[in-house]
Amino acid sequence: MHPIERVLNTLQGKPTDRVPTFCAMVEDRTFNEVLGKPLLPQERLMTNPAARYLFDRWGPVLTKTAFRIELDRALEKRIRAQVELGFDSVWAILDETFTVVDHATMVRFSGSIFNLQPDGYGNMTYMYRGPGIKTREDFENWPYWPDADDLAHSTYRFFRKMMSKYGHRACLFGQGPAYGIHESLLWAVGFEKMPVWIRREKDLVKRYVDRCEEICLKTNMALLDAGVPVVIQTDDFAFKSGPLMNPRLIDEIFGPSYRRIIKAVHDRGAYYVLHSCGDNTLLFDTFISWGVDGLHAYENTSNVDIFREKKLHGDQVTIIGGVGVDYLLTDRSKDEEVVSEVKRLLTGLGPGGRFIIAPVHSLSTIPAHKLRVMVDAVARFGAYPVALS
Amino acid sequence: MNESTMAVRRAIDELDLDGIGMLVGACLEEGLTPEEIIQEGISKGLEIVGRKFEDGEYFLADLIMAGEVVKEAMPILKARMNPGDSSGKGTVILATVAGDIHEIGKNIVGMILSANGFEVIDLGVDVPAIRIMDAARTTGARFIGLSALLTTMVDSIREVVDAAGAAGLRDQVKIVIGGACTSQDLCTEMGADAYGETAIDALRIFNGYAAGA
Repeated sequence: MHPIERVLNTLQGKPTDRVPTFCAMVEDRTFNEVLGKPLLPQERLMTNPAARYLFDRWGPVLTKTAFRIELDRALEKRIRAQVELGFDSVWAILDETFTVVDHATMVRFSGSIFNLQPDGYGNMTYMYRGPGIKTREDFENWPYWPDADDLAHSTYRFFRKMMSKYGHRACLFGQGPAYGIHESLLWAVGFEKMPVWIRREKDLVKRYVDRCEEICLKTNMALLDAGVPVVIQTDDFAFKSGPLMNPRLIDEIFGPSYRRIIKAVHDRGAYYVLHSCGDNTLLFDTFISWGVDGLHAYENTSNVDIFREKKLHGDQVTIIGGVGVDYLLTDRSKDEEVVSEVKRLLTGLGPGGRFIIAPVHSLSTIPAHKLRVMVDAVARFGAYPVALS
Repeated sequence: MNESTMAVRRAIDELDLDGIGMLVGACLEEGLTPEEIIQEGISKGLEIVGRKFEDGEYFLADLIMAGEVVKEAMPILKARMNPGDSSGKGTVILATVAGDIHEIGKNIVGMILSANGFEVIDLGVDVPAIRIMDAARTTGARFIGLSALLTTMVDSIREVVDAAGAAGLRDQVKIVIGGACTSQDLCTEMGADAYGETAIDALRIFNGYAAGA
């Protein structure tokens, strides 16, 4: 069976030849191990005194003329590496959400600020620094909001190219430059202030949600125009021990937008997968009511019980994830431990279908070798009927 | 039970950000002392919020909201308190460990501890062990709360424990850890004193230490 058929059948609850695999993206360290290291490491390229000077002085201009070009190249490498590793489906993202404002700072157009920093492996990465919108005035005057139509055009251009290069080899789960609405708001105003905003600034929250919804809708349509069969969006609704907010409130504030976004994807005959970190046990019914076809990540380090979820919701939604990145997919684990965990997940979650095995996240600490071990183990032990000895 | 302090308690329980100031003012006008209002109104209100959080009726955002409600009340009360008055539970130094810049969890813990009468010194994120120990030494704090989200940074917890030993403070300070990558096993492995999964756990642990001291 072709990987795309295997994945799409699984999302529809139809029979397949084996449990499919999904790669939750790879970071620079991992794709460099697969595709070869660049001649000039990114860290040296970005942190030398000349580059620092240039970014400090002309960061926003360089973002458009140099940084995004390099970023798009890296994003393609991510896709290519995941395909080369042999995954049936891969997470393909166009992350044109940033403007570099100085050598150490990036601003996301949706209102948040990130550190631009080395990843410890010679590459650059980013880490959330804090909110960019602290007052009503900040919201009204935020200068980085993009034109949603421009984003849709660049999404279409990028994904048309990616589909022609890789779309016949693996099932691309596409994400345009549109992060989840809830987590965008959370990053924009800061988690400590978000509950207060929701209580006191209802009109602004509504306008923020509407703006994000427009970006999601337009970039998703561009993905589908480019032929992407599955739309994935990341929106972390939970912490390790449970939802950040009352599920009823989450549904009230974000549910209407997500219902419209997912319906628009379904109307075009495509599928929608939501990634949400943490323990979403109390939210799965809500997500399913929004219409999601698949859910990722079922983080092993959170309190979520993926096996219980299979019993409760395994006939309503495709469960994607399960393979830990805290230890298993690191240099510290042994290959046989990876194989053993893959077998355990296949045995517990494979029967009945609607399960795609995947790492729960992407991290710079994931070696390509461990991903290969995982993919090989699924190929060896994941054929239906799943019967392991 | 005084009706006015009951109203303050209820306002915290119901996360009434807009009404709390007026209710605290009414208590003061009645002649209640700030200490009485804190003890009977605010602390008891937070206890109810904490219970509801543990029962799954309230969520993290509600805990934060309760902290914000208390924050509205405290300046009004502090303005009427004599200098030096406090509930005297002790000083807690909070920090996100070296190499990690995530601070949401730490900030929530800080908010809850402050609202419950602890003096909180928040050193911020990416804090080296040596700075934490310097702060413990200069402030005389007996409690340290360490937050870590990144799996790759857990060794920084051990560095703080070792630094406390090297500074001769290990027997005098309690080190409590929390954050996405932490667990009771990790706490044991790193030689810390306690692990709290939630902000309410942290409050319970520090309250226990404060009561036992």
